[in-house]
Amino acid sequence: MSNDILTSNFFELFDLPVSYDVDLTKIQQWYMHLQKQVHPDKFANASDREKSLSMQQTSWLNEAKTTLESPVLRATYLLKLKGLDINLENETTMDAVFLMQQLEMREQLENVKNEADPLTILDGMAKDAKATTQELMNGFSQSYDNEQLDDAREWIRKLQFLQKAKKEINSLIADVEDELMS
Amino acid sequence: MALIQIAEPGQSTTAHHHRLAVGIDLGTTNSLVASVRSGEASTLADAEGQHLLPSVVHYSGKDVLVGSSAQKHMVTDPMNTIVSVKRFMGRGAEDIAADTAHSFYDFSQTQSAVPRIKTRSGDVSAVEVSAEILKTLKRRAFETLGDEIEGAVITVPAYFDDAQRQATKDAARLADIKVLRLLNEPTAAAVAYGLDTGNEGIIAVFDLGGGTFDISVLRLNKGVFEVLATGGDSALGGDDFDYVIAEWIVEQAKIQDFDAPEVKRLIMQHARSAKEALAEYEDVAINIESAGTRWQGVLSRFQLQELLTPLVKKTLMSCRRALRDADVDKEDINEVVMVGGSTRTLLVREMVAEFFECEPLTDIDPDKVVATGAALQADVLVGNKPDDEMLLLDVIPLSLGLETMGGLVEKIIHRNTAIPVAKAQDFTTYKDGQTAMAVHVLQGDRELVTDNRSLARFELRGFPAHVAGAARIRVTFQVDADGLLIVSAREENSGVEASIDVKPSYGLSDAEVESMLRDSIEYAEDDMHSRSLREQQVDADRVIEALDSALAADSDQLLSDDEQSKIMIARQALVDVKGKDSVEDIEQAIKNLEAECEDYVARRMNTNIKNAMQGHSIEEYASDPTSDAEVEES
Repeated sequence: MSNDILTSNFFELFDLPVSYDVDLTKIQQWYMHLQKQVHPDKFANASDREKSLSMQQTSWLNEAKTTLESPVLRATYLLKLKGLDINLENETTMDAVFLMQQLEMREQLENVKNEADPLTILDGMAKDAKATTQELMNGFSQSYDNEQLDDAREWIRKLQFLQKAKKEINSLIADVEDELMS
Repeated sequence: MALIQIAEPGQSTTAHHHRLAVGIDLGTTNSLVASVRSGEASTLADAEGQHLLPSVVHYSGKDVLVGSSAQKHMVTDPMNTIVSVKRFMGRGAEDIAADTAHSFYDFSQTQSAVPRIKTRSGDVSAVEVSAEILKTLKRRAFETLGDEIEGAVITVPAYFDDAQRQATKDAARLADIKVLRLLNEPTAAAVAYGLDTGNEGIIAVFDLGGGTFDISVLRLNKGVFEVLATGGDSALGGDDFDYVIAEWIVEQAKIQDFDAPEVKRLIMQHARSAKEALAEYEDVAINIESAGTRWQGVLSRFQLQELLTPLVKKTLMSCRRALRDADVDKEDINEVVMVGGSTRTLLVREMVAEFFECEPLTDIDPDKVVATGAALQADVLVGNKPDDEMLLLDVIPLSLGLETMGGLVEKIIHRNTAIPVAKAQDFTTYKDGQTAMAVHVLQGDRELVTDNRSLARFELRGFPAHVAGAARIRVTFQVDADGLLIVSAREENSGVEASIDVKPSYGLSDAEVESMLRDSIEYAEDDMHSRSLREQQVDADRVIEALDSALAADSDQLLSDDEQSKIMIARQALVDVKGKDSVEDIEQAIKNLEAECEDYVARRMNTNIKNAMQGHSIEEYASDPTSDAEVEES
């Protein structure tokens, strides 16, 4: 543990080994425990210096938790610790087969509202996306453990696609449900 | 300067005197103040025994009336009697014009971004009207508790944006109330219920007030209240129920002049009484007698349901989005808590029960539960319970973003991100020699700039001239625990801090607040001096008390002799001036002492965290082997 939590790495902060496989329950518990030390409410009557330190530390803690809990951000962070700093905005896969699958899914999403039972289809798509995400995560984990960082980076690119797809599926489900209600 | 109290429970080095703090529910329809007395949180009553203060302010030209005395003028003098002012907080003129149900006031045309209502006592902003309500509650607290309060937790709808939160803080400043924290109303309600029942698990708080609707999903665990997601509508509430009923009456009774303020007020009052009566009876008779119109009619519960169903459905849509954002299913919800006077409407209870498939909790008075929860939090924040484990973790309700090319918004901080949070964004210049740039900050979740709320425009100035694209200006967006945005900027190559000119789109500028403070008659000069002197002395005592207990706990481990003696010299300097009557000297001495302690403070905070981490054995956090295999959402 470094002297200042603002420079400590996220895995250290949560008392975790540096690895892609993380214990989400433990993250949640440590998060609560650390929050009780650093949260600004513990410094409501403190000096401005303490207030600002507490706000920085809590922001850092929140960022650490968000990063560790997200499959994409956690993977990116691991590569960063290895010295490979990638900007997700510029990352895109060139795998033709994968891209074709994504394209097909997009088309299905665009037309889903015209189907007789869009909710069932969307639920199925959400399930598929979840399974694919798990496969991609396993892929990243293996490449990372074997120090194949270029391969690992490719898995991140694909994971990013899946994250976006999941978001779109979810927002479509919300739209469809809203339409059903009104 | 309360340095962290590391002392073991029961070993506290100084006896804490009880500090007075209150929770304030600044509501659209009614406002309340509550406090913890002898360990129990309860709302405070006025001299007549009334707990609810109607959020109504009347400007007679001579004096300002607040509450039920102001309410008496609602129908006879509607233009000088301001109701539901919360709806106007942090709002611009065009927002208010669009709010047809409430916009019959006469707004003056001014240069300021903040609309002002014309009254017989001059033009007033929503912030000033709210400050009158806060002053009344503050006075009530003083009369009941017997001394000045040291601070308050003021509640706001979870769905309030930055401008609305800032306006609330400005109102508190005008009323001379120190805000310990702005607390989200549903979180406050959860505190009142959570501590009351010792519940653990996931709860949904359904909060339908007079003018706003909030839904929050929280996880309760060992005293920590963690908001997972929040949603709602900052312009939907019981007032809107009244309005659709009023429209029905207008249609039935063929009333022509509904837009006349007196008529509107009268019909709205009938609508409200009818709604309240239907919570108890199957149908209600309505008799309208006003300028030329005489009408008698009956409104049945069934008709009421038809009128209100579309509005209640809107709230349920927000509920579903909040559940999805929180990534929980309906079945995961252990309890549903009902808050806000409008949840008394039967249809609301029925539809909520049907949606969540469980009977909602209604045992705490829905009008008082928010103020009660706020009082409990205020008691902790002011330092009356140093060993208390209670902690409230909140989220930002609406995304924060920046305007990019083509009128689009790029999100910087997504909604439902845990706060406090900081995000940095790099910008560059597009012209050679450029030394300034404009940044437009927006709040909301829509794609287009025009569909979101404009919070502020920033001008970054004074960074060194470079060729186009070479400058790297890092702008940091920090959202604090109150949900308020703080922006800072620096040019990374040169390290130059860029200065920021903030032009809030709707809020009051600092200068405006200052001038209102000066205008306020409560700030006679002598009064001002003795008040600030007293504040500084209290501050000085607090700083010394906190320092002493910190030094007793760990000065040996964390300070060299040299550092310690420097701190003691600064401490003595403060002790020497604090009995005298120079506000500036005390202020300066506190500043000096704090500066001397800066490293010590940082060291203590880090040590504290390290201790916290080492204090736990692996057994305590025995891992759950199944969780590794789960696929998480980002």
